[in-house]
Amino acid sequence: MRTMQSQSTDLYSEYVRDWKEKGGKVLGYACVATPVEIIEAAGVLPYRIKAFGHPDTELGDAYLARFNCRFCRSCLQLGLEGSYDFLDGLVETNGCDHLRGMFENWQHVKKYDFFHYLKVPHFLREDSLEYFTDELALMRDAVAGFAGTEISDDALREAIDTYDEVNAKLKRLYALREQTPPAVSGTEVMQVLCTGSSMLGRDFSDLLDEVLEEKAKARVTDYKARLMIMGSATDEVDLIADIESTGALIAADALCFGSRSFWTRGGESGDPLALLAERYLGHLFCPRMFNDYERRIEYVLDTARRAGVDGAIITYNKFCDLHGVESVSQRMDLERAGIPVLVLEKDYGSKADTGRVKTRVQAFLERLGK
Amino acid sequence: MYYAGIDVGSLTAQAVVINSKGIHAFKSMGVKPNPVQSAKAVVDMLISEERVSWNDVRFCVSTGYGREQVQVEGLSQDNMSEISCHGMGAAFLVPEARTVIDIGGQDAKVIRIGPGGELIDFVMNDKCAAGTGRFLEVQARTLGLSLDELGTVSQGAERVLELSSRCSIFCETEVLHYLQRGHSKADIAAGVNRAMAERVAALVRRVGLEKEVTMSGGVAKNAAVRAELERMLNVRLIKYNADSQIVGALGAALMARRMGGS
Repeated sequence: MRTMQSQSTDLYSEYVRDWKEKGGKVLGYACVATPVEIIEAAGVLPYRIKAFGHPDTELGDAYLARFNCRFCRSCLQLGLEGSYDFLDGLVETNGCDHLRGMFENWQHVKKYDFFHYLKVPHFLREDSLEYFTDELALMRDAVAGFAGTEISDDALREAIDTYDEVNAKLKRLYALREQTPPAVSGTEVMQVLCTGSSMLGRDFSDLLDEVLEEKAKARVTDYKARLMIMGSATDEVDLIADIESTGALIAADALCFGSRSFWTRGGESGDPLALLAERYLGHLFCPRMFNDYERRIEYVLDTARRAGVDGAIITYNKFCDLHGVESVSQRMDLERAGIPVLVLEKDYGSKADTGRVKTRVQAFLERLGK
Repeated sequence: MYYAGIDVGSLTAQAVVINSKGIHAFKSMGVKPNPVQSAKAVVDMLISEERVSWNDVRFCVSTGYGREQVQVEGLSQDNMSEISCHGMGAAFLVPEARTVIDIGGQDAKVIRIGPGGELIDFVMNDKCAAGTGRFLEVQARTLGLSLDELGTVSQGAERVLELSSRCSIFCETEVLHYLQRGHSKADIAAGVNRAMAERVAALVRRVGLEKEVTMSGGVAKNAAVRAELERMLNVRLIKYNADSQIVGALGAALMARRMGGS
């Protein structure tokens, strides 16, 4: 865990460096709608693009506007300034327009040999599942061509099994955080997830065994309140640490750098691509999906009840229109369910915001009587 | 037996000492380079000018942006957020208050409180100077007025000039533009005060207004902003019978009394 803490915010981690030195290829993706199983089945490392609160955006601002989400501008900045030169290509999705702007400008400048646009439907219907299955077939062929290999159904099934194993272990990690008293903090969980998002599933699975064993008997006792956090894409380990430094414990989350990346990945299809379509599109609890708010809020409320939280923090990056709009209904529904809410709009990566964030969280804890 | 509260904000620092009867003494000053220096200086002022014996202070709570460092240095025994402290201080001064508008140097907060001053809900401005004391400071400087004058000068305005921008920097450009076109400082100042009130009123609407309403922080001393807010929100802002800038420190002292066992 200590090694992970020191490496969890390294973009080019020791693990990725070793992989590259052995001649391995790396594909960057950003959105949880990307089925990493296809990339892993081709023997390529799926790498989730992160910015870890990188504060500079000058290059990103030259291609995107200042009113684009700063997470996307920070990632673009890192891509353009060379921090991501270890990537061999990008897989874009239409997660949101800010993200698309990031990917397409990045590719415009860097001109990777491999760039694939995976189109993810905005509705969950039978015909959209069929469409997404076709899209996944296109992605499989593109990735196979890039890797110079074939991606067989058996290889896909093996990768799906690997991620089933990873997801089951992550659920055990979450159970350790949800228990009273918890065995891990919210900061530690985000460090684990960020580390894993730069690894092959099979290696992450082994690492999770070590983490679970190390943490099985650990206890976190010095906290005042159990909170849940949800909202925009954020990989800011420091943000969670700042929140927890006020005496809060992030006992649960509905973040896409959190439970939404793995919690529900079920499906019944026998065909591996149709199964992946079900696993991803069928459980994409993101406000970019239309007509699906009821399932999303149920997911949030189930999580909050299961973890027995005292309150919830809805956080979103300035200019994140999807989560900004969603936060209004979410706040009302959570409060209706008796869960007090703090809405925390923040500027991604801004260290100047630290004091203001901590003031608001501390006041929220005081409001909860903690 | 005394209880003390120290509030170190972005522009000013206050210290308040209370006894069983109420406010015993208080001091306010501009901040020093770091919060600990500010806290020490304002406490020293209190000791030397108000003849308060700090040894008789049983418990002290710090609040404001420097609250943690002040506690780490041993000047206070605990710390609370300024949001809770402003609620507590306002409820002490105006027991019927349920909404507190607090506008400090770098932030603006609207706080909903219960009958005992307990925090029910709050909203704080986003990371931007619009709607804070800094906004008024920037515009006053451009007009060549002091902060106090900005409030008084505008009372002689013949009309209120429209400032369309939401941003402090763009607003400064608009103020310059009006000056160059020969508009009176009074008319421009009235526009500045109205623009400020509009931003705060939007914040009030976000958290919801419940009567009675009070206002604390340095901007509460600007009569023109108060009047604009009263008009926009259709509510009377109840005045404190104390300096509006000490409400946070007073709340901290009241918290100290609660925590220190009295």
